[in-house]
Amino acid sequence: MKFVISSTELLKHLQLIGKVISTKNTLPILDNFLFDLSGNQLQITASDLETTLVTTIDLENVTDEGKVAIPARILMDILKEFPEQPLTFNVDMETLKIDINSENGKYNLTGANAEDFPQLPEIKSEQESHFQLPSAALHQGIGKTIFATADDELRPVMNGIYVELKSDNVTFVATDAHKLVRYRRTDITPEQESAFIFPKKPASLLRNILSKEDAEVDVRFDDKNVQFVLPKYRMISRLTEGNYPSYDSVIPSDNPFKLTIDRLEFYNTIKRVSVFSNQASNLIKLSLKGNQLTVSAQDIDFSVSGRETLNCQYEGDDMEIGFKSSFLQEILANLNASEVLVELSDPSRAGLLYPAEKTEENEDVLMLLMPMMVESETEVE
Amino acid sequence: MVRKIIHIDMDAFYASIEQRDHPELKGKAIAVGKGSERGVVAAASYEARRYGVHSALSSKIAKKRCPHLIFITGRMEVYKQESARIMDIFLDYTDLVEPLSIDEAFLDVTENKMGMRSATLIAREIKERIYELTGLTASAGVSINKFLAKTASDYDKPDGLYVIKPADAEKFVEQLPIKKFHGVGQVTAQKMHRLGIQTGADLKRQSLPWLTRHFGKVGLHYYNISRAMDQRPVNPERIRKSVGTERTFEKDLQENFEIITGLYHIEKELMRRMNRSGSYGRTLTLKIKFSDFQQITRSKTLPVVIDQFDLLHRHAKEILYQIDLGSRKIRLLGLTVSHLETNEGQEAVQLELDF
Repeated sequence: MKFVISSTELLKHLQLIGKVISTKNTLPILDNFLFDLSGNQLQITASDLETTLVTTIDLENVTDEGKVAIPARILMDILKEFPEQPLTFNVDMETLKIDINSENGKYNLTGANAEDFPQLPEIKSEQESHFQLPSAALHQGIGKTIFATADDELRPVMNGIYVELKSDNVTFVATDAHKLVRYRRTDITPEQESAFIFPKKPASLLRNILSKEDAEVDVRFDDKNVQFVLPKYRMISRLTEGNYPSYDSVIPSDNPFKLTIDRLEFYNTIKRVSVFSNQASNLIKLSLKGNQLTVSAQDIDFSVSGRETLNCQYEGDDMEIGFKSSFLQEILANLNASEVLVELSDPSRAGLLYPAEKTEENEDVLMLLMPMMVESETEVE
Repeated sequence: MVRKIIHIDMDAFYASIEQRDHPELKGKAIAVGKGSERGVVAAASYEARRYGVHSALSSKIAKKRCPHLIFITGRMEVYKQESARIMDIFLDYTDLVEPLSIDEAFLDVTENKMGMRSATLIAREIKERIYELTGLTASAGVSINKFLAKTASDYDKPDGLYVIKPADAEKFVEQLPIKKFHGVGQVTAQKMHRLGIQTGADLKRQSLPWLTRHFGKVGLHYYNISRAMDQRPVNPERIRKSVGTERTFEKDLQENFEIITGLYHIEKELMRRMNRSGSYGRTLTLKIKFSDFQQITRSKTLPVVIDQFDLLHRHAKEILYQIDLGSRKIRLLGLTVSHLETNEGQEAVQLELDF
């Protein structure tokens, strides 16, 4: 088979799907891209067995059809070095010798047998759930939540994003038990109840693709796999099996104290003050009194401390609560709003953070952070 | 300036104290430790060592090797007392004393309180004073750095005094069999043998990149010591790096509840030790020795200091659950915390959602 393709276009596609290729593959064939030329369409597949990404490119100049597996590393490396130009791929289907002809050069490599490439799993149609949403909404759903996923070998369900379908909304949830994010879209109405746990790695790969594609995404899943279809890209990924913790029950519904504050000012203050926090604990304290918030930190080991006082709107009792500053920073960085609303109740109970005003009508964002407690005295037996 | 370093190592410390306090044991093969089926030898007299009895050997095997071996229950308090008296002698000569364990220490006598120029004379005097005060013998190594001093004290045991002079240092190291190098254990020695390294001279022939490739970070240390170089100072304030405890069980553990119960008691003991020393750490290491003596360790480092029993309990169990025990029986469990921080009531605990 033979085809002509733009070097930069091919590279762009390969870079998006090639990230799935693992450096420690168990199957050597997975170190290849599967090229499948049929009619005028070139379909390229990359996989790590758990997740498979497929992209399609329409070509003008093709001769014959066929399939071949092309070594990924060397192909990506050479494509990166070309300025934009048409490349001619000529594959001898008998010997699997591949010639790449550029303006001034000729490169030879040997492909592998396409038949060795694993088959894509199928979504079982009898168990299938199905919905559609705009790529931007899915991008937000992953982007807002992925930072809160866990790295917990013992509770693998928490290492993924929980995608829950209700008749009148889709909810994305992630939590590592310290922080929790719930991102809900009320403009998507799947009209059925179902859910899946989308592992972190494919979620992050999909986010990359979504950021570059503006289209409607078709999502189908059964109890084992999920498939996302965009016009030029397709992902099939194994799901994490198991039951997701009942996240709604840990979200307090009656935090009485309410703090409203400028998000950026709050964020920058925390960044400065946390320089003075204990390196191990990263603890900062928020003290609320009247309409003032004092953020403070200290590291006794090095005799350093820092504090800043900010004006805010506060309705509630005077209180002091500690948080891990890195967690609080992550949360504030992921809330898109000029002002944030923080709801608190007690120094040992979860704080809730929301955008003070909705920026998007159909979005409902809630972030939860568990506090840190200072042990003022050590028990000695 | 050329340093003068002495390494003093007591000869069969625990066993010698027992032989001193129980004259009827003199000249006999004795082992400190429990003689029970599952006991372990903590220390062996030289008479017992001739039969291949050494510390950490299981009592069962020790008895097989040396049927007339006499087991004595250890008296840790007495050993500690004697150790403190001996350390006091060292301090008469220099404040730069770095205890390595209860029965050995490095001394930097380059500048010493007695104004003595010969480190060899100081070492001899210390040996004599230890013997007068405690009736125990020690072996001393004298040289220009810690590695050589330690190697020297090992060279002429027991009751030895061996000096490696600066001019002889390199030659001494070159002829030294690799397994005699301090810090080269059995496993590393075997690996070196496989790589064709038998002596210090063989080691010296290897390039630094080659050594780091094969041995990682310690490669540099091997590179240096093969050239008789060791810049490590004698550090009198060497702080303890870990707190730990372990236990060999009367009967091998196999059932899940037995293992959890066994671990629980070790957790309790570790907590007691951490509280006693005021040292709390963030890294928890679980050691398991199976009935076939195969041993594994697994660690976990937490973002917070383990200073509460429930935290310790939870994470110890988590480490245990991550190990595929299969049907193997457990002979010994050990728990250690490292990454120590002294708790001054400033530790913060990140709270978790209750799922």
